[in-house]
Formats: sequence, C-alpha cells, structure tokens
Amino acid sequence: MVIVMEKHAADASIEHVVAELSTRGFDVHRSTGSDQTILGVVGNVATIDPREFELMEGVQEVVRISEPFKLVSRTFRREKTVVDARGVKIGGDDVVVMAGPCTIENETQVFETARRVARAGARVLRGGAYKPRTSPYAFQGMGVEGLKILRAAGDEFNMATISEVMEIGQIEGMLEYVDILQVGARNMQNFNLLSALGQIRKPILLKRGMSATIQEWLLAAEYIMSGGNYDVILCERGIRTFETYTRNTLDISAIPVIDKLSHLPIIADPSHAVGRRDKVMPLARAIVAAGADGLLIEVHHDPDKAVCDGPQSLFPDQFARLMDELKIIVPAVGRRL
Amino acid sequence: MERTDAEAELSRLRQAIDRVDDVIVKLLNQRAKYAVEIGEIKGVLDLPIYAPEREKDVLSHVERASEGPLQPAAMRRLFERIIDESRRVEREASR
Repeated sequence: MVIVMEKHAADASIEHVVAELSTRGFDVHRSTGSDQTILGVVGNVATIDPREFELMEGVQEVVRISEPFKLVSRTFRREKTVVDARGVKIGGDDVVVMAGPCTIENETQVFETARRVARAGARVLRGGAYKPRTSPYAFQGMGVEGLKILRAAGDEFNMATISEVMEIGQIEGMLEYVDILQVGARNMQNFNLLSALGQIRKPILLKRGMSATIQEWLLAAEYIMSGGNYDVILCERGIRTFETYTRNTLDISAIPVIDKLSHLPIIADPSHAVGRRDKVMPLARAIVAAGADGLLIEVHHDPDKAVCDGPQSLFPDQFARLMDELKIIVPAVGRRL
Repeated sequence: MERTDAEAELSRLRQAIDRVDDVIVKLLNQRAKYAVEIGEIKGVLDLPIYAPEREKDVLSHVERASEGPLQPAAMRRLFERIIDESRRVEREASR
C-alpha cells in the first residue's frame, strides 16, 4: 500500500501518519520528493481500511498495490486449480459443458433432456430443485424429490450433477444427490451461506452477482476458501448495464481477467446473460473462444412447455449443433472438448 | 586518454567503489547494531519505535555534514531509507 501525501503537507501531518502506521506494526518507507512525500507501507496491509488513512490530515490518496484477496489469487497459487466433480475435471485441458433444464419439473423432462445433452457431449447435468424466483407466486421448485430425479438421470447417463443451493438448511440434504453446489447470482454476497459452504468438501460453483465487481466476486470466493473448501468454480452470468435489449450484458472480459487474477476455474452461463434463445449460441462460442474452462447452458427437451425460463432454453437439436461448432473452436484455443 | 588506458582506469575506479562499498556495509551494520540496542532499550522503557523529532535531527545532521558532491537533499533521501530499515530492526529488537 502506498500513501501519497498532499503537496507541501505539513511535517506534523506526515509524522502523524507514520506514527499511526508504526504503532500498528507496519514498516514505512518514506520517500521525500521536492514538494511531495510518499509513504510505502510494508506488512499485512489487507487488514487496513484505506479510508481511515484517506481521512487523515494531509493525505492525498491511498493506493492499494496488493489485492485484498489471498487464497483465490494467482500469487497464492500459480498453477490452475482443477476441480474434480465425480471424475469430471473442471479447470484442466478439457472444456466442460454443463447442461440441462432450468428447473426440475418431472422425471420425463429430466431424463429426456439428460439423454439428449449427454449424447451431444455434456458432462454435467444441471437442474434446479430450489428456485430463487423474482416473484413469490412463481413455481418454487420440487425440492429433494427433484434432486432424486436429477441424481438418477445423472447416474443413468454417466454425468455429474449440479444444482443451486439457496440457504444453509438445504446444504446437508443436497450432498447426497449433487456433485457441485451452485450459489446463484442473488446469493453471491450471502456471507453466511458462503461460510457454511466453506465447511463442506464438495465443489461450489459461484455465480457472479449481477451488480458485483470482479473484486467483490473474488472476495465472495475467498469466503468459501477461507473455510477450507478450495474447490470453487467461478461462473460469469452477465451484469446489469444500461442495455435493455438483452436481460444482462455478458462480461466476456471477466474471463481473461479472472484467469490472470485467480487460479480458480472460470466458466460462463450465456443463457441467463441474454435471456433469449437465439443469442445463446453466439455467446457460447465467444465464451469458449475467450478461454473459459466451461459452459453452463439451459436445455429443455420441450422449451415451449417449460415452467421456468423457457425462452432462454435451447432445444436439444440446437444444443447438439452448438457442441459441433465448439468442437472446431476448442482446439483453436489449445483445449479439448 | 587512450582507449586501453581508459578501460584500465574504469576498472580501477570500479574496484575503488567496491572497497568503499565494503566499508559502507560494515558501517551500516555497525549503525544497525546500535539500532538493535536502542530497540531493546525502547522495549524496556516502553517507548514508541517511531521518534519523529530524533529522525529530524538525524536528517538535518547528515544534510549539514555532507560536503558534496551529493546535495543535502540527496543525502536526506539516502538516510530516509537507512532510517526506514533502522525502525524495522528496532521494532524486531523491542519485542
């Protein structure tokens, strides 16, 4: 951390800042320029709230050099983390595609969708049993009965399973049926839930909150990891912008940025980002081309009859066509499908 | 000056700098040993490591003592770094 003092700041102001840093056990590198003094702060500066120093007399600006996150950082771990979900390796050479319906509705729907996406090359089966719906009157999900169907379909077609956890009370009941627990965008900063997920030993997929900065998102992952659960997958799903034509704006740039900042696998969800089926395929191609470790895509065997998010779900045939296209793109970026 | 003479002179001057550096390093460590002792005393007396008035005295002392070619401001900058490191050793010694 660097503290830049105002031009011609009084000696007393500079001394006050140095004294405060010194009392707190930090080493200070003082550098006096012709009219401006700069103080380099050495030590565990993650514990400092920069605002405290910005408010001090004579301080012009406080600049953080090191990132406020630790465990998620590439500085902490240089090699990429490979998350193993029932034998499916996410973050390795393979681009892993996770697909399935938004919501688990019944056995026929899940099995039929699973059969089609597995045949096309999807390795992880998604399906929501607890749904965070914007309206309290919308379908709220099948609960554990839905998870049993998801597990049975996963076993039948040799796929790992992923489903969203919404509250701490659901975690234990999900462990038996689900290989990856998903934290939705609306829960990204539900710190109690994140801490609880840090205590289990199962992969977590952490979606980016729709108004979250990359730093806030990584700090949310830090919550999970600080509890000892290091198997975290990050998932970009679009952020709020001024654009209204699409539901959210997929932040493609987050993929290379995360890859630089963090060792955690990064995937993206084009379905929730645009909310329209016809835009899902081009975005999915762009996500893979940008270097993502995987995709999370909604597919429904009969989208027109879907109880939730039908308009953004791909038809199984479209999904198969997308997978064929990805087979061309993936080797071009040095990966496998 | 011939090119070969110039090269020989450069090498001689660099060796001279190396010898001076040896002395500076020894003296810096001698200075640091005093800082360690001061740190221990500050620990006993429960005094703060950072003593702004004393630092000011040290800096103006070396500024005055500098006869050039280093400007007083340059000497101050060099000693600011020496003081930074002294504070560190004092802190470690005071624990």
